[in-house]
Amino acid sequence: MLLRVEPPANGQYMVAAYVLVAVVLLIYAVTLVVRARGLVKEVVE
Amino acid sequence: MTLALLALAAHYVRAIQYTPVEATQGMAQKIFYVHVPAAWSAFLAYGIVGLCSALFLWLHDRRLDLFAEASAEVGTVLTFIVLTTGPLWGKPIWGTWWQWEVRLTSTLFLFFLFVGYLTLRRSVYDPLERARYSAVVGILGAMLVPFIHLSVWMFRTIHPKPIILKPDGPSLPGSMLSTLLEGFAIFTVLYLGMVMVRYGIGRLQEEKEARHAAAS
Repeated sequence: MLLRVEPPANGQYMVAAYVLVAVVLLIYAVTLVVRARGLVKEVVE
Repeated sequence: MTLALLALAAHYVRAIQYTPVEATQGMAQKIFYVHVPAAWSAFLAYGIVGLCSALFLWLHDRRLDLFAEASAEVGTVLTFIVLTTGPLWGKPIWGTWWQWEVRLTSTLFLFFLFVGYLTLRRSVYDPLERARYSAVVGILGAMLVPFIHLSVWMFRTIHPKPIILKPDGPSLPGSMLSTLLEGFAIFTVLYLGMVMVRYGIGRLQEEKEARHAAAS
């Protein structure tokens, strides 16, 4: 007889990790763009 | 960079909706699809820091120093992701957020080492001295990367062994392997996008400093 094992319900950890990755990468990407724009403006002026 | 961030959103959908749930670990195992690619791209970033730093000491080309700086900063952000997603996976599977074992601890040291590298760059005023000192630290930091990868074979550790980069080939079902490989590709493109923008910032910063120096 085959025994079916239900996977544990721990999706909240996955959601937390995915949100964290997205937030960190977005904050860093926006920071880079803002820094780059500011410097371009300064150098051109 | 924007394209890679959009691809990351699509990667989330594929990992959650179209990749099978691992029978014993449940949904928490899907952290694997961001944790491992982030670790790969962080190690790639540090490898490039080491390479550019060594080439700088040889060729004395300032662009190599600026590229090493850019790569170190992006690598540090990626290592932060590795060090935070790891415990989120560890808690439901190991029953603990953190273990002071060799893989985790050496990755934490690598993170601190490159935070030190970036701090060093801000504390030395002379550009040539700054480049020389940080090149040495960058090479030493990059030398830690193969040690961290091999540490799971060299020591008894709670951290799983690599399932892709190992002598007898990958041991994952095709559907999981393809999602993981997609993650590798997206994080590599993301790294390249961010490092190029950060390198551009370094060049602009240098131009600004040169103008200030010429004016005063």
